[in-house]
Amino acid sequence: MAMVKRSIGVCKRLSGSSSCLSTSTATSDNDIARRLQLPPFDYKPRPYKGPLADEVFAKRKKFLGPSLFHFYQKPLNIVEGKMQYLFDENGRRYLDAFAGIVTISCGHCHPEVLNAIMEQSKLLQHTTTIYLHHAIADFAEALASKVPGNLKVVYFVNSGSEANDLAMLMARLYTGNMGMISLRNAYHGGSSSTIGLTAMNTWKYPIPEGEVHHIMNPDPYRGIFGSDANRYARELQDHIDYGTSGKVAGFIAETIQGAGGAVELAPGYLKLVYDIVHKAGGVCIADEVQCGFARTGSHFWGFETQGVIPDIVTMAKGIGNGLPLAAVVTTPEIASVMAQKLQFNTFGGNPVCSAGGLAVLRVLDKEKRQSHCADVGSHLIQRLRSLMQIHDIIGDVRGRGLMVGIEFVTDRKEKTPAKAETTALHERFRELGILVGKGGLHGNVFRIKPPMCFTKDDADFVVDALDYAISKL
Amino acid sequence: MAVSLATRLVRRRSPPLLWRRSFSMSAVDAEKEVVVVPELPPFDYSPPPYAGPTAEEILAKRREYLSPSILHSYKNPVNIVEGKKQYLFDEKGRRYVDAFGGIATVCCGHCHHDVVEAIVNQTKKLQHSTVLYLNHAITDFAQALASKLPSDLKVVFFTNSGTEANELAMLIARLYTGCHDIISLRNAYHGNATGTMAATAQSIWKFNVVQSGVHHAVNPDPYRGIFGSDGEKYARDVQDIINFGTSGNVAAFISEAIQGVGGIIELAPGYLPVVYNAIKKAGGLFIADEVQAGFGRTGSHFWGFEAHNVVPDIVTIAKGIGNGIPLGAVVTTPEIAEVLTRRSYFNTFGGNPVCTAAGLAVLKVIEKEQLQQNAFVVGSHLKERLTALKDKYELIGDVRGRGLMLGVELVTDRELKTPAKNETLHVMDQMKELGVLIGKGGYYGNVFRITPPLCFTKEDADFVADAMDLTLSRM
Repeated sequence: MAMVKRSIGVCKRLSGSSSCLSTSTATSDNDIARRLQLPPFDYKPRPYKGPLADEVFAKRKKFLGPSLFHFYQKPLNIVEGKMQYLFDENGRRYLDAFAGIVTISCGHCHPEVLNAIMEQSKLLQHTTTIYLHHAIADFAEALASKVPGNLKVVYFVNSGSEANDLAMLMARLYTGNMGMISLRNAYHGGSSSTIGLTAMNTWKYPIPEGEVHHIMNPDPYRGIFGSDANRYARELQDHIDYGTSGKVAGFIAETIQGAGGAVELAPGYLKLVYDIVHKAGGVCIADEVQCGFARTGSHFWGFETQGVIPDIVTMAKGIGNGLPLAAVVTTPEIASVMAQKLQFNTFGGNPVCSAGGLAVLRVLDKEKRQSHCADVGSHLIQRLRSLMQIHDIIGDVRGRGLMVGIEFVTDRKEKTPAKAETTALHERFRELGILVGKGGLHGNVFRIKPPMCFTKDDADFVVDALDYAISKL
Repeated sequence: MAVSLATRLVRRRSPPLLWRRSFSMSAVDAEKEVVVVPELPPFDYSPPPYAGPTAEEILAKRREYLSPSILHSYKNPVNIVEGKKQYLFDEKGRRYVDAFGGIATVCCGHCHHDVVEAIVNQTKKLQHSTVLYLNHAITDFAQALASKLPSDLKVVFFTNSGTEANELAMLIARLYTGCHDIISLRNAYHGNATGTMAATAQSIWKFNVVQSGVHHAVNPDPYRGIFGSDGEKYARDVQDIINFGTSGNVAAFISEAIQGVGGIIELAPGYLPVVYNAIKKAGGLFIADEVQAGFGRTGSHFWGFEAHNVVPDIVTIAKGIGNGIPLGAVVTTPEIAEVLTRRSYFNTFGGNPVCTAAGLAVLKVIEKEQLQQNAFVVGSHLKERLTALKDKYELIGDVRGRGLMLGVELVTDRELKTPAKNETLHVMDQMKELGVLIGKGGYYGNVFRITPPLCFTKEDADFVADAMDLTLSRM
């Protein structure tokens, strides 16, 4: 915290103390901080009577796995959520610019989603897919109608990791090949098999990961070929020629890399790569766990921004607004390989999650969240790019719709990751009332991926806060 | 054959004219331009008449009884029945300069007297027992071999092939570091058993079976690589693989100082030291695959890795180590070697008396006959001559290598570097007709590999260059 000067204005507002001295400098800071107000929100949270942050934290350390990490020097105890806002134990409101890691798509405790969940829970919480039930079929139909081409067969699972694991299995069975290809900087899961597809050392435990090839990331900002998709694609061809038998099972990519720091793929890359992979006998898998469900604004699915149709699509996170729900959608031909043996998932497609998922799709349509993401997202990106003009520490602003990344560097030419500064800004944001994500291998990227009910006022607040926070570094 | 070749009338053309035979010569010009077909250097030995099965019979039996994956060179595969020094003889007693050395394997020369004698003597005395009992042959050779290696590389494990050696080295690295990931280079060849097939990086050598735990870095190829000769830029790819493709820690990096099967590609200067540092920081070991580049073949050094200013943690050896006897070795430090005591490790034939006696004899011959020095002198001369051919013929895109480990890459377009596959096959066949057996390699099969026995002479080198010159002039 030594790197962050505490704002007297913020101190005054937060503590309500009248002991803060008023000077000309303080007056100036005070004026700025006073204008940095969360947009109005007509809701008062219930008084919290549960355990406090310290108690919860102590129990976490004692009873939960040590790998469970947290943000902030003093971790937040979040007890209530409404739309794009979260409330802590003191009733303080925060703008959630991270959405539980790109998961809350419609907004916290969206009434229509809640209602669907509660009604189904009252009627039938769980049975099993060996009996019939309409919820899973209705949701599958609605979901399939959103996916282009012949991608009409849906498998339900409970997480993105499970979905990617299943997709990888399908790819291997369908092609008869074993080699998978993923991009460096990708995140596709943390299970012992999907950890192979994931390509950031911070997430990879040292275990055998099967045959997975991690190829050069077509990163327009840090990649050696800039935005030249052709040269990155040629790199993949080279890798297939030399590093494989010439045959591969599948290629998997996030159209915008989530955990990797909202990195967009070089324009035109997927089109070239899908062709190369098909020629090598493989299938193409689009990991839409984060960039799916209208978040990119221009399209419902991220892969549509690159003008391709994958063979398999995986989805999770936003699909259920926080419910443990995920899916794999593919063609009937590819899906048929799963009939070779028995395949089962106890909770996959359970009535409550299916009802919740269907409600999410309806809300996204009814509230026109895709066009909303395009509007608010482009406004946000535009304003952030203006900020980049006046603050050298902002090395890159990227993303689409409400899937935005801001990369901080101490040297624009060298692109040196500004790790300490990012951490300081992250803390400052929390103080100002904004919860934002952090990503990239060096933890120097702000990930702004809020609930899609995020407004322009929210966006303006984020940018104004960033402007202020950077000026205070 | 030589006589009929001599009567063919061909006029040598200079580049960049079309590679086409001219029929426009007048009778008078024809007489003046009679081609001199290069003659094999004199060799005072006549093989006894061959009374065994013919090439046709053998080929038929190979097709009937042996694996269909067994390959052969040449439209009409040559039936080799005898070998002496740098020469091979076919069923008709015809002599050939062996510019390939049984694939960089025969280093002292075919049927070198000292090596053969060591084998025969040991075979008569004790052919095989087991390392469960003592015998001096294995220890004498281990000591002699270790004395050739720098630093603390003093512990030797014997195997029966380069593939086995690389398999063992990879196992040792994984045990020592507790990590699983290994990094190798695209275009590398490290073997064809399950583990080493993963490290091998050319699709034609990789069967479509499970191969895991190996990452393939961009090849620091000065000729075809994306960064030319900038070793440091290539090295960044290794760091990238460590950062993104692994847990941040790796078991090992394995590479050939000069890629053999890959077409005699030298690593871009400055590459290896940078990679070495990156690997060390990631807790990994550096494995030098010296199966082809070792044993003085590169001329300037005994080991290929010595040209790159790094000392490996593990060195793997085979091919030339026994002049053709089934023998391989892994040499590492006492500390690293200790890991194999965690469980039982055994190799039935590894370090058997006959093979180790032969190996020791090979070391003595290389020393006594100064074959490393010879590789340097003759290799430099040959490379010079081949480079002159490159200036003369557009078809030669690159000449590379060191000592008697040389590559000549043929391309139909120098700018595009289009592999000249058909031309390569043609030249290979024609050179065989002229009396030169040469190797072929590279991903596209468009690189001549010249890795002859180290007893190769300047006259042999000139003969090879002259044969290539004549052949290219006729295209």
